[in-house]
Amino acid sequence: MAKKDFEKALQRKGLDNPTIVKISAKFNKIDEVKSATKVQLTEAGLDEEAIEKIYELLGVKKVKKVVGGKKGSKKAEPVEEPKMDFKMPLDKVKQQSDYERKLTKMAQDLKLKLPRRVVSTIASRIEGIEVPEAKVKAILKKAYERYVEHSMDANESAGIIAAQSIGEPGTQMTMRTFHYAGVAEINVTLGLPRLIEIVDARRVPSTPMMNIYLSDENDRKDREKVKRIASRIETTTVGEIADIETDMTNMRILVKLDEHRLEQHELTPEEVHARISKLRGLKTLAELQDNVIVINSEEPSFKRLQNIVDLVRDAKIKGVDQIVRAIIKKTGDEYVIYTEGSNLRDVLNVPEVDKRRTSTNSIQEIYDVLGVEAARQSIIDEAYKTLDEQGLTVDIRHIMLVSDLMTADGDVKAIGRHGISGRKSSVLARAAFEITAAHLLHAALTGEEDHLDGVAENIIVGQPVTLGTGAVNLVYTPVRRGLNND
Amino acid sequence: MKRGVSKRIGSIKFACLSPDEIRKMSAAKIITADTYDDDGFPIEMGLMDPHLGVIEPGLRCKTCGHKVDECPGHFGSIDLAMPVIHVGYVKEIKKLLQATCKSCGRLMLNEDEVKVFRSKMDQFEELGGDTTDIRELSKDTAKDAQKQICPHCGTEQKKITLDKPTTFREDGHKLTPKEVRERLERIPAEDLTPLGIDPLSCRPEWMILTALPVPPVTVRPSITLESSDRSEDDLTHKLVDVLRINQRLRENRDAGAPQLIVEDLWELLQYHITTYFDNQTSGIPPARHRSGRPLKTLVQRLKGKEGRFRSNLSGKRVNFSARTVISPDPGLSINEVGVPEEAARELTVPVNVTKANLETLKDLVKRGPAPSSDPYLPGVNYVIRPDGRRIRVTDKNAETVAETIEPNFIIERHLKDGDVVLFNRQPSLHRMSMMAHTVRVMPGKTFRLNLCVCPPYNADFDGDEMNLHVVQSEEARAEAMILMKVQEHIMSPRFGGPIIGAIHDHITGTFLLTYQNRKFDRGQALAILSKVENVQLPEPDFQDKNGPMWTGKNIFSTILPKDFRITFKASICEKCNVCRKDKCDKDAYVRIRNGQLLAGTIDEKAIGSFKGRILDKITRDYGSEQARLFLDNVTRMAIGSIMVCGFSTGIDDEDIPEEATRQIEDMLHGAVNEVDRLVEAYKNGELEQMPGRSMRETLEVEVMRNLGNARDEAGKIAGKHLGIENAAVAMARSGARGSMLNLSQMAGCIGQQAVRGERLSRGYWNRTLPHFRKGDLGAQAKGFVTNSYKSGLTPTEFFFHSMGGREGLVDTAVRTSRSGYMQRRLISALEDLKLKQDGTVRNTADSIIQYHYGEDGVDPTRSVAGEAVDVDDILMDVLGDEAELLAKIEEKKVGGYATVEKDLMETGEEDAEEAGEEPEFETGGEE
Repeated sequence: MAKKDFEKALQRKGLDNPTIVKISAKFNKIDEVKSATKVQLTEAGLDEEAIEKIYELLGVKKVKKVVGGKKGSKKAEPVEEPKMDFKMPLDKVKQQSDYERKLTKMAQDLKLKLPRRVVSTIASRIEGIEVPEAKVKAILKKAYERYVEHSMDANESAGIIAAQSIGEPGTQMTMRTFHYAGVAEINVTLGLPRLIEIVDARRVPSTPMMNIYLSDENDRKDREKVKRIASRIETTTVGEIADIETDMTNMRILVKLDEHRLEQHELTPEEVHARISKLRGLKTLAELQDNVIVINSEEPSFKRLQNIVDLVRDAKIKGVDQIVRAIIKKTGDEYVIYTEGSNLRDVLNVPEVDKRRTSTNSIQEIYDVLGVEAARQSIIDEAYKTLDEQGLTVDIRHIMLVSDLMTADGDVKAIGRHGISGRKSSVLARAAFEITAAHLLHAALTGEEDHLDGVAENIIVGQPVTLGTGAVNLVYTPVRRGLNND
Repeated sequence: MKRGVSKRIGSIKFACLSPDEIRKMSAAKIITADTYDDDGFPIEMGLMDPHLGVIEPGLRCKTCGHKVDECPGHFGSIDLAMPVIHVGYVKEIKKLLQATCKSCGRLMLNEDEVKVFRSKMDQFEELGGDTTDIRELSKDTAKDAQKQICPHCGTEQKKITLDKPTTFREDGHKLTPKEVRERLERIPAEDLTPLGIDPLSCRPEWMILTALPVPPVTVRPSITLESSDRSEDDLTHKLVDVLRINQRLRENRDAGAPQLIVEDLWELLQYHITTYFDNQTSGIPPARHRSGRPLKTLVQRLKGKEGRFRSNLSGKRVNFSARTVISPDPGLSINEVGVPEEAARELTVPVNVTKANLETLKDLVKRGPAPSSDPYLPGVNYVIRPDGRRIRVTDKNAETVAETIEPNFIIERHLKDGDVVLFNRQPSLHRMSMMAHTVRVMPGKTFRLNLCVCPPYNADFDGDEMNLHVVQSEEARAEAMILMKVQEHIMSPRFGGPIIGAIHDHITGTFLLTYQNRKFDRGQALAILSKVENVQLPEPDFQDKNGPMWTGKNIFSTILPKDFRITFKASICEKCNVCRKDKCDKDAYVRIRNGQLLAGTIDEKAIGSFKGRILDKITRDYGSEQARLFLDNVTRMAIGSIMVCGFSTGIDDEDIPEEATRQIEDMLHGAVNEVDRLVEAYKNGELEQMPGRSMRETLEVEVMRNLGNARDEAGKIAGKHLGIENAAVAMARSGARGSMLNLSQMAGCIGQQAVRGERLSRGYWNRTLPHFRKGDLGAQAKGFVTNSYKSGLTPTEFFFHSMGGREGLVDTAVRTSRSGYMQRRLISALEDLKLKQDGTVRNTADSIIQYHYGEDGVDPTRSVAGEAVDVDDILMDVLGDEAELLAKIEEKKVGGYATVEKDLMETGEEDAEEAGEEPEFETGGEE
């Protein structure tokens, strides 16, 4: 929120004006004030008494510690191994090798803040070769030098560059909705439609899909076992394991179970019968006779009969909801289950499933089950995969920025008028994007004020934008010689 | 001319106009519906009242006394006989009526509920909630306040419904706007905040109009047609309607006409005012012009792509710009643009007259606006005096005007060589779509540009046009030179590689020059090097019976920096299992040491746009100026060498021996038979079903796979007879143009045509064309083309091929609009993000989006294909003198930028090319 709103909020809290001015000079949000230490507040030019008052009015119980940034927690060394009954796959979290640790230490001693990835690349390159320590230090120093050289300049319009970098290759992507990915049997939306879907933060993707891995190292190499698990996950309907016949003369339905297919799906006729009996309106009507389930209609109507047929045919006997099909495929040395349809929550509850690696392409589902951070990562992965599959290289940083923006508020917001663009703080920017009239009318009603901080609104009023060279002000008074001042 | 620190608008506040304000700011009360009298003069108190501003030149405004363009125009007002609802606020009014008591006007919430609202509101403020959140909250509050009985006065409430668009009903009874207004008046100011209304900006009763502001005439100018008829603006038409009905309504009401008539007129007034605001209100027919065209009223003026916001405020038409067809000129530097003389004489640069340049500028002015000199000389179009008057320089007055010039004048000088201009091609999809060039004035009528800048602009020369803008101030010039110059954009921010680089013939040229050991005699070597800047003929490699000879590799090395070193695999590399490196018999292993090309061929991987490794490294290590020089030189050298070597391709390049043709025919015949066998098996139900597929799908997959293999096989057979000495193959392999697939389709077999990824199936009932039997599932019947482009297609094949081609065309058309809209949304969402001094990325609300840009703060433009630093290069740099260590490391190499061949922009191209020319860019699917 802009400064003015912040000040207004403070005023409402009952603070007096001089204090507000002092606070707003240093802080931008109430939260920041709340979490500020006494020292910070004194630095802002407030005396003891005023600080106490602030704490009281803002409802801060005790002096809090400064909240650590995300950066700290992210870059932190893997803390404690969480207690789980499965092993951490090695490919996911790369352990630092001794040599790498040594290099990290060395870099720290030299006060070189290098990204971990750079250190580990250097380590992997020179590990095992006797490079004199002085040289290693020189390498690190050089790497740091280059790293600083390659860093982004302040006031750079990172957002626009990212948007252009993702949007521009859009023109080169295919529109073909269906394509085959890995498994020939499953259709997946790819190309531009998929990218639009990701950016739109659709609730359900047009082709939901899951990759299910198994946790047990032996199980996952056993084709038969994996197949059995797959068949347990796949939704099986009565229609798939039986032939349904309508006996018109006796006004009844015969569900002829196929023994072979029953066996394939590890089912017994009793189970199927039990399931059918649970269907609405069929409680007492179904009878099991050998391998045939006879359903008598209580009322002599063909319509009712037809209804029952439909009901029975589509009745789910087993499997996970939404999972229409499950197919297994060997990837590397293990079998992986690929499914059409997605239901992350229920699939993760299947005991054999590896909860670490199993994934879905439904971002919303990941958000619901695993939270925002997971959703953020999933947006990055999916978008990168989509672009990569088309042979288009886009720097991951651009995609990260889009993903971070979409998830910055703690939930997944779409790019577009219902999401980010519709929530901009500037009235003019919103009006210039879409639904112009509604935004203007609403702004008048609520007495909104446009502080002209962003790009679109400054362009509209015709003044330089606050990015890049427009972010800095340089005032120069030329000395006029021999000319009278006008 | 005032100069100095520019002022900035701090903020803009939005609020509603009260009827009082409308009347107070009104310059004239509008009463009559007539506009002009018989003599063509505006009628006082009419819609064209001279108090509202001037539109005719020469007249003065009766309110402010200024002339056209100086007078901003003034509002008038209409007093409405009866109040009328504002369409834009019907939803708000409904909310207010439902949430407040009909008798006491209070918000129907008890204290606790108000408290809940307050706490939620505070929470939003703390967490930085935006307008959407607050809007949602007030909506919920309004819903909570819908009660049966008012908690304040105990009055029972009735149900309020909205009859779209503007009629309110209470239990089925119509509420007149007057009654609605009375209710809204009763709502106390403190009850408005929970409903999302700022009482200081907007009183709810103002949403029912009693006075209507009349926009100034400058907003709705009338146009005088050739026949001296006046044609009024749509808004004027609409206001005339409003005035007419308003007048009748007043008369009828005052005369005590029957209630029914008054109500009808009232409703008619409501209709006119509704359409005056928004002529696309759902539920009512749009007001139309006499010709039947719907009127463009207030909302229509603002919204959409052609609306005020997007068309006039966010984008503007500008002076000092030019547009014409482009054509190539390999003699230009990448930083230059050729401007036709004709355009250069229209485009001008303002120059301040000072004591120092007074005399030169006088001479310039003397030349007038059209000097007829053969080497082009700039003239002057305008002279601007310090008081702001512009004097047009003509041939006649040139001499006299020149004499009047003094310091502090500004003259507008024609473009001359070296001026900075911005050059742009639409669609402007990324920042490289608009770059700064320096001018080269040339004869002709087209803009000329270097071929290397085609990829960033995505330009070709089949009739493309481009725009050119002349920057007008020193600040702009400085920024353009430092930030926007072409050479500063060699590296793309999208993937950290070069986007500007050699294309087509450049690549063929260097390929011919460097492939194997082609020899050139003195004359040839000099011809190749003649256009290259700052070089000398190197020492000859050896003597021959014809005198001294130079190898192509040696000639190429002259333009490399002296200490340049790099190793990589060329585009022609065949990816053998064991790489023989330097000893590669394909000459595909490029090794450059100390600026000498020791081995390998220079092709797309070395200097091409998107992939050029040498280009990449020079830009990174030696800076953009060196990169520019290298690019200019390499392209000139390439053109030189392709001219010396000679190069030509034609359809006979795809000639293959009869033996091979027969082989292909046999093979295809076998494949077609195999398909027939599969179809037979399918019909007999003998086909082995694939898991999760129906029988039919299994067949299709099998057939597609078979025919795909057949096509590849045909290509392979044809390829055997097409060696690298073949011109077409040389182009395909070196990455200059075309692909091996294109060649195999020309020489071998075109293959299966597909629509939506499936074999062709639509057309007639159960068959594609009447040439086949119903239900024929064979190869030919479903779109397999056995012929090659060279051998020619049969009529049915030709038809099938067109079907596939059409899909491609439709695809591109749809794609451009869809991706354009996606990009617009992306830009709109991300435009405000900025990297702050502390390395965080924040939006305008100052909330943090990223704590550290990209998690490592590295600029993608400067990154090494995405990596923060090029570790290989660092190792080489540091350990350079210890060859032994280096060798060990090289041996060990776990992969990295230098070895892992990451192909940038490999695919995608194919489809786009095939689909032909892309249609003009347009945004689609919004609002």
